[in-house]
Amino acid sequence: MIQRLLPFFTLVALFLILSIASPSFLTATNLASVARQTAVINIMALGMTVVIVSGGIDLSVGSILALAGLLGAMSMQTHAVAVGLVAGILAGTACGLANGLMITTLRVSPFIVTLGTMGIYRGLALIISKGLPVQGIPDSFSYLAEGNLFGVPFVLWILAISAVATHVILQHTRLGRYAFSIGSNSEAAFYAGVPVRFHTTAVYALAGLLTGLAGMIEASRLMTGQPTSGQGYELTAIAAVVIGGGSLRGGEGSVLGTLVGAFIMGLLANGSDLLGVNPYWQQVVIGAVIIIAVALDEWRKRRLGP
Amino acid sequence: MPRPSVICICNHSLRLRSAGPTTPSERRTLDSVLLRLNNVRKNFGGVAALRDASLEVNAGEIHLLMGENGAGKSTLMKIVAGMLARDAGEFLWRGNPVDFRSPADAARHGIAMVHQESLLAPHLTVAENIFLGREPGHRFGLIQRRRMLAEAARIIAEHRFPLHADTRVEILSPAARQLVEICRAIHQGSSLLIFDEPTASLAHAETEEVFRIVRGLRERNMGVIYITHRLEELRAVGDRVTVLRDGQTVHSGPLRDISVNHLIRRMVGREISAKWKRDSLPPGQELLRVEKLTRAPALRDISFSLRAGEIVGLAGLVGAGRTELCRALFGVDAIQHGEIRIAGKIVRIRSPREAVRAGLALIPEDRQRTGLVTALPLAHNLTLPALASVSRLGFLNKTAETRAAGESIARFHIHAASSAQQTSRLSGGNQQKIAVAKWLLAGSRIFLFDEPTRGIDVAAKQEVFQTMDQLARSGAAILMVSSELNELLEVADRILVMRQGRIAGELPGRTTPDAILRLAAFETSVASTGDVAG
Repeated sequence: MIQRLLPFFTLVALFLILSIASPSFLTATNLASVARQTAVINIMALGMTVVIVSGGIDLSVGSILALAGLLGAMSMQTHAVAVGLVAGILAGTACGLANGLMITTLRVSPFIVTLGTMGIYRGLALIISKGLPVQGIPDSFSYLAEGNLFGVPFVLWILAISAVATHVILQHTRLGRYAFSIGSNSEAAFYAGVPVRFHTTAVYALAGLLTGLAGMIEASRLMTGQPTSGQGYELTAIAAVVIGGGSLRGGEGSVLGTLVGAFIMGLLANGSDLLGVNPYWQQVVIGAVIIIAVALDEWRKRRLGP
Repeated sequence: MPRPSVICICNHSLRLRSAGPTTPSERRTLDSVLLRLNNVRKNFGGVAALRDASLEVNAGEIHLLMGENGAGKSTLMKIVAGMLARDAGEFLWRGNPVDFRSPADAARHGIAMVHQESLLAPHLTVAENIFLGREPGHRFGLIQRRRMLAEAARIIAEHRFPLHADTRVEILSPAARQLVEICRAIHQGSSLLIFDEPTASLAHAETEEVFRIVRGLRERNMGVIYITHRLEELRAVGDRVTVLRDGQTVHSGPLRDISVNHLIRRMVGREISAKWKRDSLPPGQELLRVEKLTRAPALRDISFSLRAGEIVGLAGLVGAGRTELCRALFGVDAIQHGEIRIAGKIVRIRSPREAVRAGLALIPEDRQRTGLVTALPLAHNLTLPALASVSRLGFLNKTAETRAAGESIARFHIHAASSAQQTSRLSGGNQQKIAVAKWLLAGSRIFLFDEPTRGIDVAAKQEVFQTMDQLARSGAAILMVSSELNELLEVADRILVMRQGRIAGELPGRTTPDAILRLAAFETSVASTGDVAG
C-alpha cells in the first residue's frame, strides 16, 4: 500500500521542497498559474486514462486538441460563444468516435490507427485554417481559461468536475467495468458476452470529448484557434497516466493516479522555472521521472508475487 | 513383481533411503543425490505459498511431484529453477548450499524446466531455439549457423526425436515444442529436468512419446521432476513420489509402496472415492436442438439435442471438432448452414453476447485466456456476463453486486478471502467454479463445458462434477467435452462421439471406453449403433 501511494508522496514532497526553496512558489498567483498550465494536459490525461485502462492508446489527442479548438474558435466568429464551445467539444468527440470505429471495424491496432489520425487531424486543422491562427474570438471567451469562480481559477472547477465524472465512469458504470475487463483480457471479456467493440468505441469517443474540452480551454488561453497547438501533448498525457500507475498493457489506471502524475510534471516544470533551472534540463528530469515511476511500479508488482 | 499393498509412510521429511534399495535404478543412484530441499518457506505478500516443503531428487530417477492446485508445486519448482527466491530453508545442489539468482544461474548449474506453456521464440527455428542465448560464435560475434544446425541435428538424431533442426517453431505441435525445450536442456548439459504437467495439452499418442522420452532421460542418469494431475500416468513413468499439501511435504517415498487411493488421500487430506457414477434424472423438456450445423471443414452436418436435466458427454480425439462445435454454438465462430433451436424456437447466434442472451453458457477449456479475466476481483468476474442485472441506466449498484457475488460464493463453496480477491490468486478448482457460477447470474440454462477438469486436481474434479449434477438437477442441460473417458463414463447420461468434424455416433452413459474409442477412431456411425453393450 505504501508503495502504491509513492506517486502521491512524491507530489507532496515536491510541493514541500518547492515551498522551502522558492519564496514565490507558495503564492496564490503562482499556484493559480500552475493550475491553469496543467489543466489542459490534466483533462486530456483523464480521457487517456480510460483509453489505457481498456488496453488501448491514443496518439491523436494532440491533433484533436488543435482541430477541436480551431473549429470551436471558427464557430465563435459567427455564432455565440456557447455554440462555439459545444461545437469544439462535439468536434473532439467525433474525432474520438472515428478513432474507435476504425479500431473496431478495421481491426487495426489502436497505436497504428491513432498514429494515422494524429497526422490526419493535424493536416485537416492546417488545411481548414490554411495554416493561420483563427482570430476574432469574443473577449468573454477568455473567462474559460483565465477567469475565477469563488476565488479559484475557473479551469480548476472544470478539471474537478471532469475528474469526478471520469472517476465515476471508471468505477461505477458498466462502461468503466467493461473497460477494465477488456483491458485485462479482451478475449475473456468477449467470451463473457461483453459487447467489446461498442465499448471500445465508446472509450475513444469519451477521450475525444475530454480532449475537445481541453482544446477549448487551450483556445481560450491563447485567444486564438491555433492549428499547430497541442503538439507533443499526447505523450505528456500518456506520461501522466503512466506515472500515476496506469499500465500500457491495460487493465490498470486510476483518475487519482493520473491527476497526481500530471501535477508532478506540472510542479517539475514550474519549479525549475522558479529556481532558474535550464529549461533543457526540465525535459531530462521529466523523462527520468517517467522511467523511475514505472520501474518502481513494476518492482512493487513483482514483489507481490504471481 | 509383488507389490506391498499400502504402506503408510508417516515420516514427513525424506529419509527413505534406509528402506533399502531394491530396483536397479535405486541401487545405481543411491549415492547420487542431485537436489535436496529442506523445510523451504515462501510467502507472497503475507500469504504462505510454501510452509515446510522438502524434496530430494536423485540422479537417474523420475520423481513425481503431486498435490492439489494451490498446494505449492509450481512455487517450489520456480524456486528450484531460479525463478523465485525462497524465504527460508535449505537448498542443496549436489551436496552444496546454493542460492540461484536467476533461471540462467540455475541453468549453469544444470537445472532446466520444460514449461506447460512453451517459452520458445516462435519465429526462430528449432536449432536457433536450442542454442538461444548460447550460440556458437566466431571471434567477430557472428553466429556459426552451419555448426549450430549440425549440432542440433545431432542431438535430435541421438534421441530419435521427430524434429527437423531448421523448422520454424511456430508450426510445431505443443508436443514437438516440448521436445525442443528438452533438446535445449540436453544441450545445456542439464542434469535435472523439471516437467510441469507435460501431457496436459497432449493427445494420447503424444503422451506415450513423452513417457518414452522421459524414460530415456532416466537411462542417461539425469534426474527428472515430473508434475502431473493424471493419476493414470503415475505407474507409467514414476519411480518416487513427493506429495505437497498446503505448502507442506506430507509424503515422500517409492511409488510402488503406495496405492492410488492412498495417494489421493495424502493429497486432499481426506478420503475420496476415485470412482463415482452420477444418478441420471428423467430428462425433461428439450432445451437445445441442433440441426445439420456446418462450418467447413471443422464441422459438418452436426445434429443432436439436449434436454433439461441431462448431461451429455462429447467424446472424440484431439482435432475431431469438439471445441469448434462449442465455439460455433456460442457464436464465437460463424456457422455456414444449419439451425439452432432453443426451447423450440429457432435462434440466430452471431456473437457470445447473443448466445448469453439466448441462455447459453460456455466454460472454455482455457480458463486463463478465455474463461476468466483473472486480473479482476472475483466478484467482477462473477457479474461480468450479467452486469445489467446489477446496474441501472449504466450505473453499477455495488451493494447488489456484492450481494450477488456473495450468494454465488456460498452456493458454489468458493474458497476465497473475500469477493474482492484477485481471481488469479485462487486455485484452479476455485477459478473453475467462478467460470461456472458467473453464468448462473446471467440466467443461463444450457451449459457447454469444454474439458472442465483440465489442470485441476482430484478433489476439485469431484466438486466440478457435483456442480454439474446440481445444475442438471435445477433444470439445466449440459454438454460436456472431455478427453478423459473415465470422466464421461462417470458423469454422462449419453455420450456423443465426434470424428473428423461429424457426429460419428451416440452411446448410452453405461458404455465402455473401448466402444467410445472405436467410434472416435474407426467405425462409421451405421456400424456402431448395435455396439452399445461394448
